[in-house]
Amino acid sequence: MQDFLSTVKDNHPIAENIYMITLTLPEHIEEIHGGQFVNLATGDNSMLLRRPLGVCKLEGNDLSLCYQIKGKGTKKLTQAKSGDKLKVLLPLGNYFDLSNCKSVAVVGGGVGIFPLIATIRDNNGKDFYSYLGFRNKNAVCLLDEFNSCKKLTVTTDDGSYGERGNAVQAFLKDNPKVDAIISCGPPVMLKALKRELQERSIKIPCFVSLEERMGCGIGACIVCVCKTSNGGNARVCKDGPVFEINKVEL
Amino acid sequence: MADLSVEICGVKFKNPVIGASGTVGFGREFNELYDIAKVGGISTKGMTLEPRLGNPVPRIAEGTSVILNAVGLQNPGVEHFIKCDLPFLKEKGVVIIANVAGKTLEDYGAICAKLDGLVDMVELNISCPNVKAGGMAFGIKPESILEVTKVSKKSLKKTPLIVKLSPNVESIAVNAKSAENGGADCISLVNTFTGMVIDIERRKPVIANNTGGVSGAGIKPIAVRMVYEASNAVKIPVIGMGGIMTGEDAIEFMMAGAKAVQVGTANFADPYAMPRIVEEMNFWLDNHNIKSVKEIIGTVALN
Repeated sequence: MQDFLSTVKDNHPIAENIYMITLTLPEHIEEIHGGQFVNLATGDNSMLLRRPLGVCKLEGNDLSLCYQIKGKGTKKLTQAKSGDKLKVLLPLGNYFDLSNCKSVAVVGGGVGIFPLIATIRDNNGKDFYSYLGFRNKNAVCLLDEFNSCKKLTVTTDDGSYGERGNAVQAFLKDNPKVDAIISCGPPVMLKALKRELQERSIKIPCFVSLEERMGCGIGACIVCVCKTSNGGNARVCKDGPVFEINKVEL
Repeated sequence: MADLSVEICGVKFKNPVIGASGTVGFGREFNELYDIAKVGGISTKGMTLEPRLGNPVPRIAEGTSVILNAVGLQNPGVEHFIKCDLPFLKEKGVVIIANVAGKTLEDYGAICAKLDGLVDMVELNISCPNVKAGGMAFGIKPESILEVTKVSKKSLKKTPLIVKLSPNVESIAVNAKSAENGGADCISLVNTFTGMVIDIERRKPVIANNTGGVSGAGIKPIAVRMVYEASNAVKIPVIGMGGIMTGEDAIEFMMAGAKAVQVGTANFADPYAMPRIVEEMNFWLDNHNIKSVKEIIGTVALN
């Protein structure tokens, strides 16, 4: 974990309200895995909090992150231009550990697909079966990143791209034989996935990446907690963001 | 290289920069970024007798140059701290300030008794919890500050007592005096200001608790004024805090009367804030040919 002064290489929209920013790090970092995130300064010193963004790609020293415009911080980030300097703390949190899996189902919704892309890139040679859901065709992006998958099903809520429906339905319909399921997306999607797995007694290990408003990003301030199934709290930034689906309340 | 060391209530700090309670946990996480022994001290996450789960999320929001938090004193309980975190901090050699909170006067007495002699200082958090009878926060009325300070002091035979004052009060000078009269060895201020941020799209407060404590650069001038007023009201040492982001900010608080400072929100904006502030203080002192940071304490001259 280290704080770098990175240089913005590129920052452009990839879908409606969604941008990809590529930062050149001043030095090579050992490793960063799918599911891990960074804490990125917005470039405006009146914003004291950094923005936690999931890692999407690392190519050489170039780190790509994707973000949806949600508030003034992400709006400010859209103004970052090539050559601008932004502080970035990384790598943070745990990751999707697929070392014991040969085949993996990927269930992603909306901006939740980005850490899943990093995970697929991170695990060359495994069989991925991907099921993605978007609001509509304007939200669909980076499908090329799923070219290496054994299977890719894209859904939209309104049927304007791919199949009408959602990622969880598509996964259940296909019901691939896999060693693990990994998922990231809106809370309503993760809840539906958990419920369906329980109701159908599907015992495949399932790992989800969670999102929460964060302070420090390193586990010190205990701002970003989620409820665990044993009645306690876990820190999304430090104990997560990836959790076994049955170990957290969604 | 200026002498940055200070001594408060017989406790020696290698420099006057202390991690503020709630922003640095028990020191472990920031120690992964830099040797935590570079800072003068650590004020721990606010602890209670029993473990607490705290408030629902979201617990944090942002305003211009400020943040708001309402963590609700999530902590593993004082016994867990003594067993699991204290040995780590002791080994590190930073001044250990145990920040404690309670629901009742008895809680404060009991938690102080448990920590007496184990830590370098105890800091009373009297800004969040409520009194058993009446429901008025301990930290608001001078009478209740007097009472909770007395009870806590009685349990502390060996360890100096800091009373951390809330800024959400009528007179900071009167409350500072109350803590002194109750037997406090030191006061620290300011805790956070109660505030609210509304998400205008949802027409709801961003924080689940609706209100939260405001901290960060935006509160600094108010905090400096309060540190100045409190310092002039009491004879016991004062630890200043509230929006310190740079070494120059820290110098300002010390000129207002603080013998040391705490740094909180800056740790989120810049994870290396504390060691940087130590360096910046040294740089400023060297540039002004000041041999010791002690020389600047309380030296502001009013117009």
